Amino acid sequence: MAIVITILLPLAAAAFLLLMDSRAPASRARWWALVATMLTCAVSLGLASQFVSTVNSVLPKRGIIEPRLEVHHTWMTVGETPAGEPIHLEIYLGVDGISTAMILLTTLLCISAVLVSWTAVQERAAEFYAALLVLEAGLIGVFCAFDILLFYVFFEFTLIPLFFLVGIWGGPLRRYAAGKFFIYTLAGSLITLLGLISMVGMTMQAVPTLTTPFSMPALADALATHPLPAEVQGSLFLAIAAGFLVKVPLFPFHTWLPLAHVEAPTAGSVLLAGVLLKLGSYGFLRLCLPMLPAGCAAVGMPLIAVLSVIGIIYGSLCALAQNDIKKLVAYSSVAHLGFCMLGMFALNIEGITGGVLQMINHGLSTGALFCLVGMFYERYHTRMLSDLGGLATKLPRLGVMMVFIAFASIGLPGLNGFVGEVLALAGMFKVQSPYLNGMTYAALGAMGVVLGAWYLLGVLQKAFFGPLQEPVHDDHAEPILDLNAREMLAITPLALMCLYLGLFPQTLIDLIQPDINGVLQASAAQAQAVAEQVAALSR
Amino acid sequence: MNIVLSAIRNAVDLILPEVALLATVCMIFLAAPFLVSERGEAAPGLRHRWGWLSLIGLSVAAYLWSISEIQPVGLGPFRLDGLAWFIRGLSLASGLILVLVNWNQAEDARAGETQACLLAIIAGVNLVAAANDIVGLFVALELISIPTYIFLLMPRRDALAQESMLKYFMLSIFSSATLLFGMSYLYGLTGTTHLEGIYASLQAGQSQPMPLLVTIAAVMMIAGLAFRLTAVPFHFYAPDVFQGAPNSVAAMLSFIPKVAGFVALYRVLAVTIPSGDWSMLSLSTPLLWWLAVLTMFVGNLLALLQNDVRRMLAFSSVSHAGYMLVGFVVGDAGTKAISGYDALLFYLSVYGAMTIGTFATLAALSTSSRRVSAISDLDGLSQTRPVIAIALTFFLLSLMGMPFTAGFVGKLNLFLVAWNSGGDAGQWLAIWLAVNAAIGAWYYLRLIREMYLSDPVTEVGQEQQPAVMVAIGLCTLATMGLFMMPEWLWQAIQKV
Repeated sequence: MAIVITILLPLAAAAFLLLMDSRAPASRARWWALVATMLTCAVSLGLASQFVSTVNSVLPKRGIIEPRLEVHHTWMTVGETPAGEPIHLEIYLGVDGISTAMILLTTLLCISAVLVSWTAVQERAAEFYAALLVLEAGLIGVFCAFDILLFYVFFEFTLIPLFFLVGIWGGPLRRYAAGKFFIYTLAGSLITLLGLISMVGMTMQAVPTLTTPFSMPALADALATHPLPAEVQGSLFLAIAAGFLVKVPLFPFHTWLPLAHVEAPTAGSVLLAGVLLKLGSYGFLRLCLPMLPAGCAAVGMPLIAVLSVIGIIYGSLCALAQNDIKKLVAYSSVAHLGFCMLGMFALNIEGITGGVLQMINHGLSTGALFCLVGMFYERYHTRMLSDLGGLATKLPRLGVMMVFIAFASIGLPGLNGFVGEVLALAGMFKVQSPYLNGMTYAALGAMGVVLGAWYLLGVLQKAFFGPLQEPVHDDHAEPILDLNAREMLAITPLALMCLYLGLFPQTLIDLIQPDINGVLQASAAQAQAVAEQVAALSR
Repeated sequence: MNIVLSAIRNAVDLILPEVALLATVCMIFLAAPFLVSERGEAAPGLRHRWGWLSLIGLSVAAYLWSISEIQPVGLGPFRLDGLAWFIRGLSLASGLILVLVNWNQAEDARAGETQACLLAIIAGVNLVAAANDIVGLFVALELISIPTYIFLLMPRRDALAQESMLKYFMLSIFSSATLLFGMSYLYGLTGTTHLEGIYASLQAGQSQPMPLLVTIAAVMMIAGLAFRLTAVPFHFYAPDVFQGAPNSVAAMLSFIPKVAGFVALYRVLAVTIPSGDWSMLSLSTPLLWWLAVLTMFVGNLLALLQNDVRRMLAFSSVSHAGYMLVGFVVGDAGTKAISGYDALLFYLSVYGAMTIGTFATLAALSTSSRRVSAISDLDGLSQTRPVIAIALTFFLLSLMGMPFTAGFVGKLNLFLVAWNSGGDAGQWLAIWLAVNAAIGAWYYLRLIREMYLSDPVTEVGQEQQPAVMVAIGLCTLATMGLFMMPEWLWQAIQKV
């Protein structure tokens, strides 16, 4: 029930905002939005605690994907299984450790997103916050969905509010950016849909008793005993990966990202980098690793490892060359998501744990970075590094926050980024597969850490230290002041989380560990089933 | 004598709703010309009498439909099988909405005839589904065409409307002739005009020695009916006609002929009858496969180039005909899973709600003096008419196939069917469908961009039109409801 409330609460708030008198002052809309996001965050905390207590109370006899607090509702009954039973398509909601973590990240970032838009968005404020809340609901929906179709529904749905956020409240190229982002992602995910449908169709042929073929746990369990042939898994992996590769985005499918980030309003960037990109890696984790382990090992690992390493190095080099800080952070996202995918496709416990940690960590640190970039853009109306210098003396609080978050993003030990990157690289380092040499890739990936330090420290050095240099701001009569209480409120929780997860990463690891074990269990189970089949044939 | 009378009674019993509709039509046609004042304006309280009367006629028909029961197919001129029952419900529902869209489209002097034409068209669709004889089928199709000619010209009589009417008239006559030609070969092959007789003869393999005749019959009938589906290459009239026609007529044209066309195609191609290698089905499937692919691509690619809203929507309608053809091509291939026809009927119903809704929003924006034509006329609509902008966005997202709209479920069903039960050919169709869904998103998105991402330039009509708003509301409800509870429609389709 808590799940349904978490999804519906922001939706209801959005509907309320849209019905509000459009001539009402923007302040009313933003206060409502703030209250709504805070309430949602509170509900999601309740959901998390409920989840933790359920996990502790239930005996650990688990399937490959094991959601708790489930909600089932038949959506549509379509056709019959080969055995003659009606096939149910379900509305199937639930949470497991990974999705709980992602939901908490989403609700936390949404509060910051509202706070950073406080003065930046004056035009059509009610509509803006409504779009933001709808986006929040869609994102929470993705993480709660345990039916493949429902997952896809929410996955696609998030495009719509973000399209409006970028398109209406974005920068000068917003129309182009919004269109490109929408079409690019949609085209990718349509291929994913075809892949998912054929995966489910083939499973139904193999397991005629499956009456809820689109339910992720049921499908994963069915595939564990009746795995698809390895070459089929490979091609299915490629099809399903199409949409997720674009979403993550991995090189060379990343071209929409810098554009969308630069044009998006700050809140849009925060959610885009913080949560939306993770939908891609989350999709891999939910739909590829547990269902198609052989495909992931044979096709996924070499492909993704190569693309991630290229992404890490290329993204870092691009970031190094940028003058626009927002674009720099956008390219750094390409690099950081490269670490995430590199770890995840090491396909061992360290790597996947590192990948999931990286998802959360990148959400926190890059979300915060975009908030900070938005804050000084609001002050100076420029994001060009060449216009700025020595701001730390003039804006000490902004400077401190920027240094702190940049260190988190670089992966300084003691802050959150370190743990994820180390685990991801360690996972890759261990890989000994006929398809690729893990050590090489881990070493190449580690170069990205150095490059990351280089470009982020470069930003700090250029913009915050050295002689004070401020852009001319004639159009802007107000004095330039340091961060106010509202801005501190937006950034502090994120910074605190970065510190906490750096010092006590075990909290998060404990939360996600069982689910990652489940995912790994799938590949073992499928390998065993194949071995049994071979043995049966040879007899 | 008694036998004849009882045969007539039995036949009429099967088409009671249509009798009610046509009675209303006769009433309006007989009375309306005498109730027009000199100045051509109705008395203030009586402006909408014909609309109300049509609604009453439709309600009576709907009541008669709701108490009708599916009957085994007999030898009479009409049948009431599952498909006829379903199509009747669908067309009555869409008729109700179309009457509302048409409420203010014509000036008072012609309002009666306009609504009557619409009702006659609805009755025609029902009769296409209910016909048990290819002659009856043809007559029913003409019962759709002929009022359409009048309907095209009635509400507006400017040059554009005349041009579109003439184009439609010429091509429609041509397509009817083609269809008749094919039907005559079908009659020659089987020696009967009765559908059940034709099926029996085809099943017995009487056509086996005459493959060429079967080919000609199938090709000609497909060509004739493809005109109604607006399938490429018989789509040429669509953009011109949609552009020139009044909004309510365009709404009707984007949906009703497709319903009739698919039902007629289903009936005359004897698609459910297994009849060996040279069956009509085995001949028509590859043909229709190409038709589907061409229709999707041509429709979507040409829609990208349009600058007139209605022309764009016309090409969008063409592309949707292609999507539906996908369902038709897959057909009954996988019997255990859902059949392509089920997916087609689902998509057809969903498409009805979203396309009529789209044109209804255009009707709500247009006034007698000013019509929405160029895409840029929609600039900044979200600020001038926010409610309509949201509704139109919703319909466009549904046409795109985005989640939380019925269009998503419709496309999903087509994907499921084509991929899982269509074999290799079906899987290719599914891939082309996916490609086209992505192309299509671009031009629908363009309209949304104009509405939300641009500032208003031109004045939009601010007239309140309650009837059209009700129609928009109903379409929105259907589009949303069929996403939330597709089960409801799905159960009805399973009966077919």
